[in-house]
Amino acid sequence: MRATENTLSRRLALLAASALLAASPRAWAQAPWKPTKPVDLVVHTGPGGGSDVLARSIAVMLEKEKLLTVRVQVINKTGGNSAVAAAYLSEKRGDTHTIGLFTSVWIATPLTSAEAKVAVRDLTPVARLMLEPAVFAVRADSPFKTMRDFIEAARANPGKLKQSGGSLTSRDSIMRQALQQHTATKWAYVSFQGGGERVAALLGGHVDMMVIEPQEAGEHIRAGKMRVLAQIAEKPLSGYPGVPTLKEAGYDVTVPPQMRGVLAPPATPREVLAFWEDLFAKLHATPSWQKYMLDNQLEEGFLTGPEFPKAIDKVENELRTQYQQAGVKTVR
Amino acid sequence: MDVFNGLMQGFAVALSPGALALCFVGVLLGTVVGVLPGLGPPATIAMLLPLTFKMEPTGAMIMLAGIYYGAKYGGSTTSILLNVPGESASVVTCLDGYQMARKGRAGAALGISAIASFIAGSFGVVALMLVAPPLAKLSLAFSSPEYFALMVLGLAMVVLLAGESLTKALLSMLVGLWIASMGTDLFSATSRFTFGQTSLLGGIDFVVVAIGLFAVGEVMANMESSEPAQMLPLPKGLRNLMPTWQDMKDCRFAFVNGSVIGFLIGVLPGAGSTIASFLSYGVEKAVSRHPEKFGTGVIEGVAAPEGANNAETGGALVPLLTLGIPGSGTTAILLAALVLWGFKPGPLFIEESPAMFWGLVASMYIGNVMLLILNLPLVGVFAQLLKLPGYAMYPLILGVSMIGVYTASGSVFDLGLLCVFGLVGYAMRRLHFPTGPMVLGLVLGDAMEKALRQSLMMSQGDLAILWQRPIPAALLAIAGILLVVPLFKKFNAVRVQVIDQEG
Repeated sequence: MRATENTLSRRLALLAASALLAASPRAWAQAPWKPTKPVDLVVHTGPGGGSDVLARSIAVMLEKEKLLTVRVQVINKTGGNSAVAAAYLSEKRGDTHTIGLFTSVWIATPLTSAEAKVAVRDLTPVARLMLEPAVFAVRADSPFKTMRDFIEAARANPGKLKQSGGSLTSRDSIMRQALQQHTATKWAYVSFQGGGERVAALLGGHVDMMVIEPQEAGEHIRAGKMRVLAQIAEKPLSGYPGVPTLKEAGYDVTVPPQMRGVLAPPATPREVLAFWEDLFAKLHATPSWQKYMLDNQLEEGFLTGPEFPKAIDKVENELRTQYQQAGVKTVR
Repeated sequence: MDVFNGLMQGFAVALSPGALALCFVGVLLGTVVGVLPGLGPPATIAMLLPLTFKMEPTGAMIMLAGIYYGAKYGGSTTSILLNVPGESASVVTCLDGYQMARKGRAGAALGISAIASFIAGSFGVVALMLVAPPLAKLSLAFSSPEYFALMVLGLAMVVLLAGESLTKALLSMLVGLWIASMGTDLFSATSRFTFGQTSLLGGIDFVVVAIGLFAVGEVMANMESSEPAQMLPLPKGLRNLMPTWQDMKDCRFAFVNGSVIGFLIGVLPGAGSTIASFLSYGVEKAVSRHPEKFGTGVIEGVAAPEGANNAETGGALVPLLTLGIPGSGTTAILLAALVLWGFKPGPLFIEESPAMFWGLVASMYIGNVMLLILNLPLVGVFAQLLKLPGYAMYPLILGVSMIGVYTASGSVFDLGLLCVFGLVGYAMRRLHFPTGPMVLGLVLGDAMEKALRQSLMMSQGDLAILWQRPIPAALLAIAGILLVVPLFKKFNAVRVQVIDQEG
């Protein structure tokens, strides 16, 4: 392991040296930056959480595809619904060997908690890696066969039907808010801390519906325990042929897309930012990445450059509107 | 496939030299991270995850699971010797374990915790193997009203943890409940008692509170005495280091209690090993013939929770392997590992991947035997630690506490909290407030509040949901009995006193 690293770095050094000899001093001054020591990848979840697992998978893929010559170590900065991780990244101002993985939670939390002082735009956006689709699921023995069945039942019994989900600021909750508004119906929303508890509540018959990740729902569908009514995705998912998107089901509601991406600390030098952008663009093109996306039923959403910050702003504005309509207090 | 064939197939997998070696590596690593406060199984497994991509998945799973249940063996070591819980599930072990050590019975405490771990751990594996699918249904039948009743039952046990003054115990518990409410509220996304601190948005980790109250508070209380601190007595000879036959007899019920309660609580995705250990301690005290001695170093008070947190591992694997539902941080990362290796954990997992399931079950039998053989000789080694004089021992405890807290969170803020709770623990000792109820309030309070609010959201505000379902009704009734019985006893004692005085 160490030996190969050594030969590799020696080879790189040789390469660099020969490039040096060939190039003019001016070109040498512009030699691309690259990391020289292990890179810290900050995540806001503990070991086993969504971002943590993605971060460790990225570390493995970067090594396997030989895209990075230094090690990537995952740093778990949990707490405060991502506020602690965002604050940590913000303190690393100008640090060239620290980057972070963010999710839409990083955008949502500063909107609703005064204590979360670092917004995503205070950091340096690098790349959006993916969009996360979701599906509306009910138990297999549920009377609801279509999205319309559920909505009409909710209309007939206001507040009687129940949905399990995460916190009030999560996508599940916003989805419900938007649908309720669009259809002038109402049903209850029960928050659970862990994803496992949400699924258990649905399968145990304690709630009627939930919004769930396609990959997770897949196994319960195969076992004949769950049925999917509609999918929330920009483009229909390959794993769910025949399942309508919300729009196809007749409910044209827009919800801010759930994203995952990479951020760098504030005041990241431009050549360093260029390196990270390029690295993730290369990673995105590898077969390992494509397989990961397919296995986990994730939606293509790679975005970098000037469009990416705009996309973040758009999500932030949409979230703010949704929260205000849902009666969640916003602080920014 | 029937159980016997499955198990034979499993042993064929688990007895191969490669699998045996990985199993040993797993349980050894588990014991080490269990002994070290702060470093827990989830972090260790996460760190090793990238390595496992190059390994054969069944072997890798055997190793990772070994870390998971191995850590439960090691967790009691620092609880008993230093009053510093090595894992969250070993917090309650401090109560009687450390007192045993102070009485010179550290060896017996360490020994019984290894033996209880072995018995309950093996019970957990047997139960996982025999009753996993039907029990998966039970785990689904449990929802918020049931959890609420379970937590009420747990809190009712405060009465049992009370010691001399019930008032002081209740006050201590209320402070625990208050601390539990700190952080971001799940239901409304509002911050509660965060005092403008980003670091408090996620609430306060109860391990920090427990280490502060138990370990730091204890060190400070010991330092104030003017006479030089006494060395803890340590009996000579390996024979005297082991639990006696009488100890084993005293723990008969604790073994059963820890096994059954640990496994059943483990099956529930919303509970976890910490709650399992507290509940089994409470039950042990409730049925004991000498409940007043709990907290002064009774061996059942170590055996029951240490057994429970091991049986919990088998239980926690039930929803994970039969439903694909993780109930804790560690099982969540095991689930992630299975997905990354290309397995499909879910209701069809056992049917489709019998080699993995049965190999894992068989390896857990082997792993538990390895752990017993590994841990019993370590008792003698660890017990030597108590020979250290006070001027070495107390700094060691403080150092281990600080390293433990910092490794767990990497946060300097938490070190500050550790100091604060150390002072609180010292003050509570001086004022004769029991610290156990505060930790219990903190552990159960958070889960209880969530369960209550979820229940009310389900019933649209109708409280009847809490007693109209059979399981919560039964649990609440038991809690009611637990609360009323001591009142009668107390009333009786007062009456006897009055009669004596009048007579």
